[in-house]
Amino acid sequence: MSTKHSVTVTVNGKRYTREVAGNRTLLRFLREDLGLTGTKEGCGAGECGACTVILNGKAVNSCLVLAPEVDGATIETVEGEARNGKLSKLQEAFHRNHGVQCGFCTPGMLMSVKALLREHPKPTVDQIKEAIEGNFCRCTGYQQIIESVLDATGQLKPKKEELRRV
Amino acid sequence: MLHEFSYLAPRERNDLLQLLKKHAGQARLLAGGTDLLCEIRLGTDKPAFLLDVKHIPELQDIAWSERDGLSIGAAVTCLEIMRHPVIRKKFPLLAHAAGQIGSAQLRNRATIGGNLCTASPCADLGCSSLALGARVELASVRGTRVIPMKEFFTGVKQTQLQDDEIVQRVLYPPDAAGAAWGMEKLKRIKGHDLAVVSVAIARTAKWLRVGIGSCAPTPVVTADLAPPATVATVVAAARRVIAPIDDVRASREFRLFMVEEFIGRLMARLA
Ligand SMILES: Cc1cc2nc3c(=O)[nH]c(=O)nc-3n(C[C@H](O)[C@H](O)[C@H](O)COP(=O)(O)OP(=O)(O)OC[C@H]3O[C@@H](n4cnc5c(N)ncnc54)[C@H](O)[C@@H]3O)c2cc1C
Ligand code: FES
Ligand code: FES
Repeated sequence: MSTKHSVTVTVNGKRYTREVAGNRTLLRFLREDLGLTGTKEGCGAGECGACTVILNGKAVNSCLVLAPEVDGATIETVEGEARNGKLSKLQEAFHRNHGVQCGFCTPGMLMSVKALLREHPKPTVDQIKEAIEGNFCRCTGYQQIIESVLDATGQLKPKKEELRRV
Repeated sequence: MLHEFSYLAPRERNDLLQLLKKHAGQARLLAGGTDLLCEIRLGTDKPAFLLDVKHIPELQDIAWSERDGLSIGAAVTCLEIMRHPVIRKKFPLLAHAAGQIGSAQLRNRATIGGNLCTASPCADLGCSSLALGARVELASVRGTRVIPMKEFFTGVKQTQLQDDEIVQRVLYPPDAAGAAWGMEKLKRIKGHDLAVVSVAIARTAKWLRVGIGSCAPTPVVTADLAPPATVATVVAAARRVIAPIDDVRASREFRLFMVEEFIGRLMARLA
């Protein structure tokens, strides 16, 4: 009954066109139709943020967006971070500061932070917390993630840095 | 998995209204999708048609005039409300309430129309808009009508909307511009959560109103009180409109207590 929709999107700078059913979520579209499995599904219901991508400049839960809604859109996902096998500055900061443990929340976390940094290149801790409020991490306790963001933006206090090197 | 449905994205208001009439009862409007797609995923709603309202220009506008007050199109997002300079200046309670909804990802999509039409007792734009004396403009192929928001909500997740009707705009009277305000929202956690209790107060030289969430089948509002009212008068007025229940989030007793507590705090801050 439901007709197919032709959806053309630019994901991480690359254009894709696919035919999709109306009930395809953006999350499944990315993972199953485009093979971009970096973006994760946690709850599928807007709670956890594992599925966060940047849609036309704004962080959204891709589990709550339909693929036909994004025809013509520009999308950024975690696959756009590393270039030629080299981690992005933000990824490196997460790596350095133990902002990643199991890594399931990381793709979404990175996208929320990336959207934040575009508006606030030097965010305060409160701004970081607000930006990642919708990204659950069951491993790190968030502190290392906040430090990762501070580090990526040149705001990590040097004292802490020394402590961590011990 | 979501069940199969047809997704339609009309570009004109009249096309939307015609489609809604044609598929009345079988169609749902899709705005930010942050409520609807959850319902569909759970299988609690199984519409055959989803009509995307995000391409209708009339639903995207925010307009202000001294004479008519503030008008917000139903498809305006929480983010847009939070950032809009006129809303921030003249209706700061509304900008604040929009910022209370969900997480950043949700606020980037969630709309005012969706928040009101879901008609959850906890809707953050419900209690705050009620305190500001909002009205709701409904439209269908039969024409448009404007009703007080107080009458729009009729029960838990129920509104006056007919099968062929949409919310077109939300209207805020000019006399609410610049009102002194305060809002408290109690959540179980510091992160994003629905309100256990929420209280929003707006006060001008002529009236004081309190909107309350999660304490009755719908968001509710007190009668207009004459300022400066005492805390006891405001609490008594609030008691008349709320009827909290025990549920997973809190007990009736605790809700009654927190309503009083919040009114006391907010009145102290307003004084
Ligand atoms: C994890 C999570 C946390 C949340 N936290 C909060 C919170 O803290 N506070 C809060 O208030 N809400 C919260 N919500 C609920 C939701 O995000 C809001 O109610 C939101 O404003 C809904 O708007 P939407 O545009 O996404 O609506 P949609 O999901 O698109 O639509 C919701 C309903 O309204 C109907 N509808 C939409 N637009 C119109 C229109 N113009 N005319 C007629 N009917 C229409 C739809 O058909 C549907 O039935 C949360 C949701 C989630 C998933
Ligand atoms: S999978 Fe989308 S928010 Fe959890
Ligand atoms: S690293 Fe495991 S959930 Fe965040």
